[in-house]
Amino acid sequence: MMFKRLWKKYLAAVMATVALTVSAACGSSVGASDAPVVPADGDVTIRLNWWGGDARIKATEEAVKGFEKEHPNIHVDMEYSDWTGYWDKLAVQSAGGNAPDVMQMDELYLAFYGSMGSLLDLGKTSKYLDLGTMDASLKQMGQVEGKQVAVPMTTAQYGVIVNNDVLDELGLALPDTERWTWDEFSDFAQQVAEKSNGKAIGSIAPNNGYGLQLWARQHGEKLFEGNRITISPETLASFLQLPADWAKNGIEGSAERWSENTAAAMNDSDFGKGRQAMMITQATMITPYAQAAGTDNMTLVPMPQVEPGAKTMYLKPGMYWTISSQSQHPAEAAMLVDYLLNDRSAGEILGTERGIPANNDIRRSLADEATGTDRKALDFVDKIQPTLGDSPAITPNGASELDKTIVRYQQDVVFGKRKALDAAKAMIAELQESIDFAS
Amino acid sequence: MSSFTEFGTLVKNRHRPKDKPKDTKVALGFLAPWLIGAIFLSLIPMLYSLVISFTKYNMIKPPQFVGLMNYRHMLIDPRFLSSLKVTLTYVVISVPLQLVAALALAVLLDRGMRGLAFYRSAFYLPSMLGGSVAVAVLWKMVFGSDGLFNALINLFGASSSMSWIANPDTANWTLIALHVWQFGSPMVIFLAGLRQIPRELYEAASVDGAGKWKQFTAITLPQLSPIIFFNLVMSVINSFQTFTQAYVVSGGTGGPSDSTLFYTLYLYQQGFASLRMGYASALAWIMVLIVAVLTGINFALSKFWVHYDD
Repeated sequence: MMFKRLWKKYLAAVMATVALTVSAACGSSVGASDAPVVPADGDVTIRLNWWGGDARIKATEEAVKGFEKEHPNIHVDMEYSDWTGYWDKLAVQSAGGNAPDVMQMDELYLAFYGSMGSLLDLGKTSKYLDLGTMDASLKQMGQVEGKQVAVPMTTAQYGVIVNNDVLDELGLALPDTERWTWDEFSDFAQQVAEKSNGKAIGSIAPNNGYGLQLWARQHGEKLFEGNRITISPETLASFLQLPADWAKNGIEGSAERWSENTAAAMNDSDFGKGRQAMMITQATMITPYAQAAGTDNMTLVPMPQVEPGAKTMYLKPGMYWTISSQSQHPAEAAMLVDYLLNDRSAGEILGTERGIPANNDIRRSLADEATGTDRKALDFVDKIQPTLGDSPAITPNGASELDKTIVRYQQDVVFGKRKALDAAKAMIAELQESIDFAS
Repeated sequence: MSSFTEFGTLVKNRHRPKDKPKDTKVALGFLAPWLIGAIFLSLIPMLYSLVISFTKYNMIKPPQFVGLMNYRHMLIDPRFLSSLKVTLTYVVISVPLQLVAALALAVLLDRGMRGLAFYRSAFYLPSMLGGSVAVAVLWKMVFGSDGLFNALINLFGASSSMSWIANPDTANWTLIALHVWQFGSPMVIFLAGLRQIPRELYEAASVDGAGKWKQFTAITLPQLSPIIFFNLVMSVINSFQTFTQAYVVSGGTGGPSDSTLFYTLYLYQQGFASLRMGYASALAWIMVLIVAVLTGINFALSKFWVHYDD
């Protein structure tokens, strides 16, 4: 008898605790802070976080020091992590109402955080944060549901980085790259692979959302429109087929070599080791790749196109700064973003490590002083100017895993698990389901 | 969970003459640090995840009740099925291989050879390291295209430059190898079990003319069967929950081509990358169910081959 009653008591206690926790957790929908957008009188501490490597940590810390010197009452706490860990942490922090005041943001995640109301409407901070220093088409890519919630701090342009050491060794000369087609590109890449006898590979096919976006534009299509995937299965299939073809004709060496290269860190990849002739990637990557491969003999040429000269490129935001809607100090946060974006000395310290600065004045003054590979990256914006078109819709909420999804379906095609068109249809269905679920 | 049962017994027996009520209170006091942790860090989050599994929840917006939607979604989710297939393949192949390796070495070491302590430690070492991130990183290098494994093969005249990690047909096998390599802890348990078998049995058998193999199948295996059973159950449960190795070796993707998409890794991706916490919680509870069923099957089959002396 005693025993039965006792257990009832325990059970009731446990149930009550569970009920309490559940209701508490459900109730903790994290609302925006109503902190007024005016600078505080006393000392203020704000938090800044970003993802990235050692070079970025050093540069950002130095730039922030300059900001603290200019605003002695503001102290900035800095947090950083690697790419994967960053998003895990940010999701948990946002859920707990503990998001940093200023966050580095990526285009893939912008729509998610923007539509969740986690990001401050920067219309409220215009007094402290000047967005007039960048191109209007670029600024527009920081908007979600019509509100400016993010500041594009850099742009990223895809180009082809060429390791001339590899070409020189094989006695090959680059064809005319000003207006080259994919056929010309792959013919040349194949020559590299054949002539080097497998020691060096020609290139590897693009395998992320940016590459797919450009592929769609080159085929006269759009990847997304609002919350719909609008690329046709046929165009997507040709994109998924590309690495399979290049594995077969030797441009990528083999299927496994391609697979290993897509997963490798820069220093472990063929291009980083100086065993690959051409790499389709962001222009600013030329400097780190040159360092990894231990050569300055690299050049930057435009992407091959389906129709040479068409306006298929666009100013893609490399990274964004965003301010948390939960921030208790939105004015100070905005001042920090303004400093990192528009201050001349901060621009010099940050350089091109995060991409080409969005602020046009800073970009030009950097280009005037830069040398070597940095200079090539900064000048590249002007080089592709004639092919710049309208900016596309940003990646919708629910498609944040786009990059990984592309690689997964490409692997299915490369290793013969699926036909390209089947893979394309399945991929569109999977992504659309994910977008519909999220919205 | 066994601590929960012990706690239950403790409460249940508190009025038995042997345990004075005061003793129970003291015991509960000593248990308190663990108890508080278990309730607030394990039990309540677990129950909360059951609630969450019936909701749509992205960690930022409040959970929204959706009934059985998450569970129904599994039926049409191809990646759920492929993760199940990858995990079951891994369990079905790596667990028996590991146990056979552990048993074989235990029998060898049981002969009381010289330097036994050294060999025992040497073979046990991988078990201490195997679950760590460092070893998974090492594994990635060993089976890479420039790795040790290819160097080893090439010593024998082959010329392999294939990356075993990057090929979907072999990637899971490298992880199975990693699991088998950690045969040390079941081996130590087998060794302890072998010491319990009365020597007279072997003596009697050899007098009757039984050879080594006959002695092994007729004495060692039946006598050891409860230990084998214990190792089997634990090994199945543990290997079903493999996460770290697959996460590190595939860079968190479960690739190439979802060939190392372990169940727990898929669950993690759904929860923390796709932010479908409701679906991830539902997946977790289905995993609890699957592990329970597998354990149940193990117990049901055990009466056909496990012999207890008493």
